[in-house]
Amino acid sequence: MNGNGVPAIVLAQVDRTYGGSGPEAVHALRGATVSIAPGEFVSVEGPSGCGKTTLLNLLGLLDAPTAGSLSWDGVPVGQRSDRERARMRLERVGFIFQRFYLLPTLTARENVELPMQARGVPRATRRDRARALLAEVGLSGRERAYPHQLSGGEEQRVAIARALANGPGLLLADEPTGELDSTNTRAILDLLIRVRAERSATLVLVTHNPTVAARARRHLTMQDGRIVGDVREA
Amino acid sequence: MSGGGWGRGLRHARLQRILAVAAIGAAVALPVVLVSVGGGVSSHELHALQTSGYQLVVSAPGNHGVEDAHNLTRAILAIGGVAQASPVLSIAVDAFDAGGNVSPVLAEGIVPAAFTATLGPTDGSLFPTPLPLGDPNDTTHFANGTYRGSATDDVVVSIPFAHEFHVKVGGTLRLAADDNLSAAVPFLVTATFGPPITFLEPAAAYALLLPLSDLQTLSGYASGPGTIVPDAADSIEVAVAPSIADDAGALAAVAAAISALVPSYSVSTLSQEVSALESASAVLTGFYLALSSVGIAVGVIFLALVLLRRVETDRRSIGIRRALGVPGRSVAAGIVADGALLAVGGATAGVIGGVTLVLGLARWATAEVQEAAQLATFPPVLLGEIVAAIVLLSLAASAVAVRAALRVQIVEALR
Repeated sequence: MNGNGVPAIVLAQVDRTYGGSGPEAVHALRGATVSIAPGEFVSVEGPSGCGKTTLLNLLGLLDAPTAGSLSWDGVPVGQRSDRERARMRLERVGFIFQRFYLLPTLTARENVELPMQARGVPRATRRDRARALLAEVGLSGRERAYPHQLSGGEEQRVAIARALANGPGLLLADEPTGELDSTNTRAILDLLIRVRAERSATLVLVTHNPTVAARARRHLTMQDGRIVGDVREA
Repeated sequence: MSGGGWGRGLRHARLQRILAVAAIGAAVALPVVLVSVGGGVSSHELHALQTSGYQLVVSAPGNHGVEDAHNLTRAILAIGGVAQASPVLSIAVDAFDAGGNVSPVLAEGIVPAAFTATLGPTDGSLFPTPLPLGDPNDTTHFANGTYRGSATDDVVVSIPFAHEFHVKVGGTLRLAADDNLSAAVPFLVTATFGPPITFLEPAAAYALLLPLSDLQTLSGYASGPGTIVPDAADSIEVAVAPSIADDAGALAAVAAAISALVPSYSVSTLSQEVSALESASAVLTGFYLALSSVGIAVGVIFLALVLLRRVETDRRSIGIRRALGVPGRSVAAGIVADGALLAVGGATAGVIGGVTLVLGLARWATAEVQEAAQLATFPPVLLGEIVAAIVLLSLAASAVAVRAALRVQIVEALR
């Protein structure tokens, strides 16, 4: 781990299979081996169903490998308890989903406060920080809006603010612009790149949009559950 | 999620929560009604026993089973240490108002002087002294078992009955053993008795007091051809001399002397009666709570189902929270708090509903139910215990939902 809490992640020969080991088993990931250094901006590209989201879920500790090893800062994640992994997600990972996944019964500000609340941040502090984060993503004045009152671009901005709430070192974005028009796509991408740079965070971005992928400095390509390409730009 | 879909989901969830509160409320209302009314009647009876002016009760098996009541009373009075003996016969008769309308009413036949002498301080204040029923010792009409003497045909009526039946002192009340106006005997209303009418009017203690021999002849329980039980009474209440009233040994000796007169009759001390009533009351309360537990179990199962349903509908939200790193205990705490909130809401609604139902019964139910409901007590400790029990049971119901919530697979929930 570097000084900013940004993890070094290593996957070695990782498999992820769903549905047991019978003929109906789905091999979402096969022998994936990759190392991601702190502060990298990595895109994960490939056709639908190639295992991009599965890889992202494993990197973010939402899921566990069925074979192989995944380690954070040299420590195999399999040795961590569910509670420890939840704490690592809370403190060190920021998730941004394609469908935003804001809680519909909470306002924009409350959605942003949620991870801080779970971490025990005092009410006044988390309220101020949520306001600041919403301002940073360009949503000043929209703090009290509910998700159904926001546009798709605004919802994703709230999701980004939520992902940044606890100052994570690892940002994982799964098709963050997949449901946005081109204008919003460009704006959200600019925002992600800016906040990554400001925080020296690692950003792993799943996309099958070449324009979006082109902004990354390292490109992982997947096919049929395997990592078939790993290109670093100079 | 669209605004309309979200709104529909919200309304659906709200309906489920309202139904859960209603189910628990109904489950709680039942024990509140049963325990408050049952406990109220028991404590009323206990209070009446504990403040009565007699110490021994002579009773016999069967319906109005004490025979030869006047002579037995005299024999008991002759026992050393006995200060007073009061035979009592309680029978439902029909009363006819001025328009010929009939109403069943409970009448007590008593020997006026003996009855007054065996009243405790609380009950004594409810009756005029002396009771204006003509023959204080009920000897003239009784006439040594011939019933050939002149009857007083006087009656004293309870204030609630007088109010309900529009009877005034100095007026006439016609009474018969059954619904037969031509066989009714006119009685002169000489006084009223009982507590004043409360806000729950009309009170239901519809009672008449009349001389024992008058009630016996009216109902066919006097001596002579065709009578059911000659010179009948339900019991004889015996007051001992004040000097031995608190002496258990002396009371036992008096009871033994009475038993020697009528070996097949039961002679019990008031403390035995109190103890028996307390035991019966405890058994009844336990029975009421056991009976209510069925409804409470149904309410709690319904609560568990609503919470489980909520976990199912909130599956994605739970997955999002877990994905963000919200600890499982926070998710569990939310469900437990929700279950407890519904349980407290339901239990509170049940207590309020139960109390309201009892007050309604006291005002609008049939006479017998009214009488019982008016005696209801609402002990705050017991009501609090019922609410606490429901909240504890809600924790068990929540545990089922918590288990389901913690088994939600994050990745599957987010698909």
